[in-house]
Amino acid sequence: MPPRLNLLGFTRAIPIQPKPQTQWLRPVVRMSSPQIRAYSDSKEPPAADRSKRPDSKPLPHVSQEAATMAKITGTEGPDLSQGTPVEEIVKGDKSAQDKLPKVMKDAIKTQPNTAPKGSRAYSTTTASIAGDGGLDMGLVDFKPPTTAPQIPGLRFALPVLPIPKDAHVKHRYDPVVDQVTNLLMRHGKKAAAQRDMALILQHLRTSGIPTINPTRPLIAGAPPPSHLPLNPILYLTLAIDSVAPLLRIRLQKGAAGGGAALQLPLPLGQRQRRRTAVQWILSAASRRRNTGSGKGSFAQRVAQEIVAVVEGKSSLWERRNAIHKQGVAARANIILPRKR
Amino acid sequence: MPPSICLRSFSQLSLDRSVHSLASRSRLSPHAACFSTSAARFANPSPKKGRVVAPPKRGQKTLNVKRGRKDPQGDVGKRPAPGERKAQRKRIVLRNDNALEVTALHDMAKATILSGLDEGRVLGIPENVVDALRAVEAFKPTQGWGLFWRPATLMRKETIQMAGLLKEVEESEEGQKKTIRRVLSGERLGGKSTLLLQGLTMAFLRNWVVINLPEGITDYPAAQDITNAHTEYAPLPGSQPTQYFQETYTANLLAQTLKANEPVLESINVTTNPSLPLPLPANATLKQLVELGAVNPEASWPVFLALWEELSVSGRPSILFALDGLSHIMKDSDYLSAEVKPIHAHDLTLIRHFIDCLSGQKSLPNGGVILAATSRSNCPSSSALEHSIQVAEQLQRDPNNLLHYNPYKKVDQRVMDALKDLRDPEAKGLDVIKVGGLSKDEARSIMEYYAESGMLRAKVDDGFVSEKWSLAGMGNIGELERASVRQRI
Repeated sequence: MPPRLNLLGFTRAIPIQPKPQTQWLRPVVRMSSPQIRAYSDSKEPPAADRSKRPDSKPLPHVSQEAATMAKITGTEGPDLSQGTPVEEIVKGDKSAQDKLPKVMKDAIKTQPNTAPKGSRAYSTTTASIAGDGGLDMGLVDFKPPTTAPQIPGLRFALPVLPIPKDAHVKHRYDPVVDQVTNLLMRHGKKAAAQRDMALILQHLRTSGIPTINPTRPLIAGAPPPSHLPLNPILYLTLAIDSVAPLLRIRLQKGAAGGGAALQLPLPLGQRQRRRTAVQWILSAASRRRNTGSGKGSFAQRVAQEIVAVVEGKSSLWERRNAIHKQGVAARANIILPRKR
Repeated sequence: MPPSICLRSFSQLSLDRSVHSLASRSRLSPHAACFSTSAARFANPSPKKGRVVAPPKRGQKTLNVKRGRKDPQGDVGKRPAPGERKAQRKRIVLRNDNALEVTALHDMAKATILSGLDEGRVLGIPENVVDALRAVEAFKPTQGWGLFWRPATLMRKETIQMAGLLKEVEESEEGQKKTIRRVLSGERLGGKSTLLLQGLTMAFLRNWVVINLPEGITDYPAAQDITNAHTEYAPLPGSQPTQYFQETYTANLLAQTLKANEPVLESINVTTNPSLPLPLPANATLKQLVELGAVNPEASWPVFLALWEELSVSGRPSILFALDGLSHIMKDSDYLSAEVKPIHAHDLTLIRHFIDCLSGQKSLPNGGVILAATSRSNCPSSSALEHSIQVAEQLQRDPNNLLHYNPYKKVDQRVMDALKDLRDPEAKGLDVIKVGGLSKDEARSIMEYYAESGMLRAKVDDGFVSEKWSLAGMGNIGELERASVRQRI
């Protein structure tokens, strides 16, 4: 015999009346005010122009009303001689926007500062957290260095200030060049890696001016492409920093339930980002067709891949976009601590 | 319920086939499976399709030779067509479109090149000379020509010295023209081949006839390819002891010489009556003579000799005969004689000719310079050559304190005889030009050229020049280029 109590009936969602949101009312913008007519009043509408009664007077303009209000409260109101900025008043008020004339509606729709159609809702660039901010353009400082005054009795002169970037023996070379050299190194053969690095830079120097693909934007502050071959280190840095992903996906084991791994986006630091990008470039280069022979063939392919990255032809851009897309999707998996 | 022992014996009874007659076996066998599943359980599993080896058991280590997911994919690119790789490796690029053009760069001029006034300046090589130098394969792919807008060289101290040699030959009296013989030696990357190229450039500018045996870089002819048995050879008829000539090599050399010296050879008519295996048209020019040898390899060696005869007639231009990679011709070649003995390189006719000129056995009636550059990167060991050069350098430094030959090293007497003049304090014809480091002024000059070309992004001041000059091993020009331009850390 079936039970009388229908268990299934409780599985349905119980509708809960949501608490009505208190709407934020603009005190100034009151488009229509209900006119109250007492029973004793005549049914004929009063002649607005002749009546002395305040309720029969036509409503003032929003700006006038705001000016009156400001006068009462003793604050600075809008300047009545300037006209009413309608766009500002209806901003954020959907119901008021619907009543606007079509010209103004269209103007609101095509606002210049909104993102173009089809673009991402999230940013794929990051600002450098290093102190200098922008790229190292390799510009030579032609200002004479500040010379310290000669102090008698010292054996050596005081150092020139500011101390140049490459004055430290362990950091005398460009950080990107150092990092790429180390990543190029195989079996601990650093000299071979350095030779490859020199060949890569030489190839970048002698290859033609790259044509930038506008759909694959390089990082902000990039110099014009005609400057790149003359500054191969900048060329290399630009390619690596542009294609480097901002994050990686960490797989939290078993956190998604049922033994499945939960994807969590994890932001990367600058050096980590560069490392990822260089490893992508090296793996893509090794998959390229080997057209040369001898010691420099791999270096040449790496250089070709770097040029392809800057020109937007490399498949690494899709890889980067995929990572970013995955990261945006996995953003939902982050549980932030509750705010108090 | 019957005890289990009974049931078991009953089932075994029915399975014991031997007790049943043959006729009843077929009837009984279907019953066999009714009580037991062991037959099916212990039977060999039927082999699956396409899988011969069973998968390894859990916890058992196996050798996995397949590429795992974690392993990076190796080089899976397609292989290039035959010959493409070598062409790319040996390609000579003389221009970098990205480099800035140095507006203040002047060309070497015919009138002033031998004056020595341009010491310490960087001068460009004129375009027609560049073509000629390309024809005689004077440029090497390892040199840094491809980094700059157009080829230019630094007029260093040794260059001025070489210009002085050419001037000396040109200014010697008609009828007793001088023949100057020099060996270029020095450190690795020190600029020996470039100095040779500068000598060739000056000779081309002064309308000399230039014959160059380059080091093996692209294709034959090359100094190393004369001796490494890559081209065909044949004994020269009527020679005692037997000499060997190389048809194809000589024909190619003639073709290159013709291409480089065409205006000079065109202007000279054949005056002697050479005995050639092929007919030469009457009133022929030297160009036609050389073409004959270049097109017909079998006539190449007689044509070469006939050309040399023609150039020896008085009133003809001087000759620059140069070779890069001297140690390749100072040893036994890789050719074998009929007795399966190695042929000494000096028994090959072309090399014999060069050695005769270098040792002074043959002199040039119209004057000329014989240049032989050594190499430090691509050189088979030749202790006799090394010793001779060391002695010659010692003679320049300190003539009173001579070196002796290491008795424990094998001596090649033919080489010692050929380079006798190098070790002789009295002989003046053959000497060594030591290509050393640049001075700081020269280094500054070439580094300013680098900076003006946009290849060096630094302020060239005294401190910077001194730093790079020291890093380059006291101004070794190749190392200087590596340190400043190529960013070879």
